[in-house]
Amino acid sequence: MSGEVETTRKPVPAADELTRPFWDAARAGRLVIQRCSACGYYNHPPRNFCDACLARELAFTPVSGRGAVFSFTVMHQRDVAGFENDAPFINIVVEIAEQPMLMMVANLPIGERERVRIGAPVEVCFEDRGDGVAIPQFRII
Amino acid sequence: MGSLTDKYCIVGVGETPHMRPSNRTTLSMACEAVSKAVADAGLKLSDIDGMTSYQIGDSTTSPHVATALGMRLNYAVDILGGGSSGEALVAHAIGLIEAGYCKTMVIFRAMNGRSGRRMGGQTPGGPIPVAVAEGDGQFNMGWGWTTPAQRFGMSAMRYLRDTGCTTRAFAEIAVAHRYHASLNPKAIHRSPITIEDHQRSRWIVKPFRLLDCCQETDVSVAIVVTSRERAFDLRHPPVFIMGGYARTLTDSPQWNYSRDEIHYVAGNYGWKRAFGMAGISHKDVDFISCYDAFTFTTLIQLEANGFCGKGEAGEFVKGGRLRIDRELPSNLSGGHLSEGYTHGVQMVIENVRQLRHRADDACPGWAEGRHTYDRKAGCRQLRKADICCGMGWGWENMASCLILRGIAA
Ligand SMILES: [Zn+2]
Repeated sequence: MSGEVETTRKPVPAADELTRPFWDAARAGRLVIQRCSACGYYNHPPRNFCDACLARELAFTPVSGRGAVFSFTVMHQRDVAGFENDAPFINIVVEIAEQPMLMMVANLPIGERERVRIGAPVEVCFEDRGDGVAIPQFRII
Repeated sequence: MGSLTDKYCIVGVGETPHMRPSNRTTLSMACEAVSKAVADAGLKLSDIDGMTSYQIGDSTTSPHVATALGMRLNYAVDILGGGSSGEALVAHAIGLIEAGYCKTMVIFRAMNGRSGRRMGGQTPGGPIPVAVAEGDGQFNMGWGWTTPAQRFGMSAMRYLRDTGCTTRAFAEIAVAHRYHASLNPKAIHRSPITIEDHQRSRWIVKPFRLLDCCQETDVSVAIVVTSRERAFDLRHPPVFIMGGYARTLTDSPQWNYSRDEIHYVAGNYGWKRAFGMAGISHKDVDFISCYDAFTFTTLIQLEANGFCGKGEAGEFVKGGRLRIDRELPSNLSGGHLSEGYTHGVQMVIENVRQLRHRADDACPGWAEGRHTYDRKAGCRQLRKADICCGMGWGWENMASCLILRGIAA
């Protein structure tokens, strides 16, 4: 497992009619999450019906971008398309501050390997993936 | 007891060798496994009038197998699914036979799980190039979070933190299942390992090491299900289906972390129904099987199915409790961790053989049910193997179960 291997391009999110506002906001450097107009519950990933009350009126709403590491893994295999030369790399699931168990997947730089722990406070930043695509990432604060 | 408890039986089992690579098509392997299972039952292919299989776009289908084997079927359906689907298709078979759609069914899985499409999406030449992430993939693929090891590793890391359990509990499972594989001539990995071997093995996806991960193989497996009236005339004593649950889901099944409690995996919703249907309690179970794609998936299924309390599985498995001749033997063929990877059906096959008292081990008389019980001489037949609880796992959010008994119970 040494040396560079031929790498594929990192996957590009294909925004659809449900998710487009999320990706549009990310491109503009803002984190938005669907919030239920009826009961106030936050829903992520985007969906058609509120998880808490099944109402249909869900509005993308800016959130603080703060949260905490809910769990993490360190991937050592060069098995993931687009990430062949990133290994080892860290994945985290962030619990967004606005609501318990409101989860979002992200990465941390591998340099944070010694610092990453469950409960570590994080805040959002954005990674430019080119071609007008940006994805939310998080950093330890 | 359920109204159909003990009315249906598993009467035939068969498989191809675990290969890496097979150099065969899934059709060729499926035909072999189906033929062997039907012959094992003492039936002819023309006695089978229903066939089902499951796959993830990586296998041949029932109509192709039926054509290749010259079978005319009254029912053929192939479903989309991986782990936990085999047990669910047994439930389908019961319903179909009960309703009169067919009389005797064969269920198969055929996969080049190593040389063809692997579960992380890799191909033999490297990863499949992915240009776009659609649907649910929009919220995980862009961060390189896709393989089962990464997904289950996320749950496992949180589990360790919440329960105080350590990865030595994972090691207990790897060691027990490997010991059973050492008694199984068909297993890919047969050299016994220690807790320390596990702890020293390299990281795959932290918190999983190499010895936490299953052995992907190319293989086909098949089982034959029929009604008890027909079962009594066949080659082996029947294995009775006492109860189960079939691809039970948690809430929020497509996003397994957005739930009240991530350790509350799907089995929790099913086990009371399975044990109630079977009319037994946990103390009646002589041995178990667990979907061990990873050591952790076995650990969490013990809790989910009520064999121990929440957060107690690490203590529960300590000191070799899951080994043969101990309290609750698990995955007696070596399981996915050490025998090979069949998306769950091999556990059903091993359970059937144990319940028939015909584990295909080193004992010269195994085919007639004569065993030495001498582990040093390679016997892996349990002395008492009357009731088995087999637990299937798809993801954290999907599970199946099959409680079986032999004629002695
Ligand atoms: Zn709502």
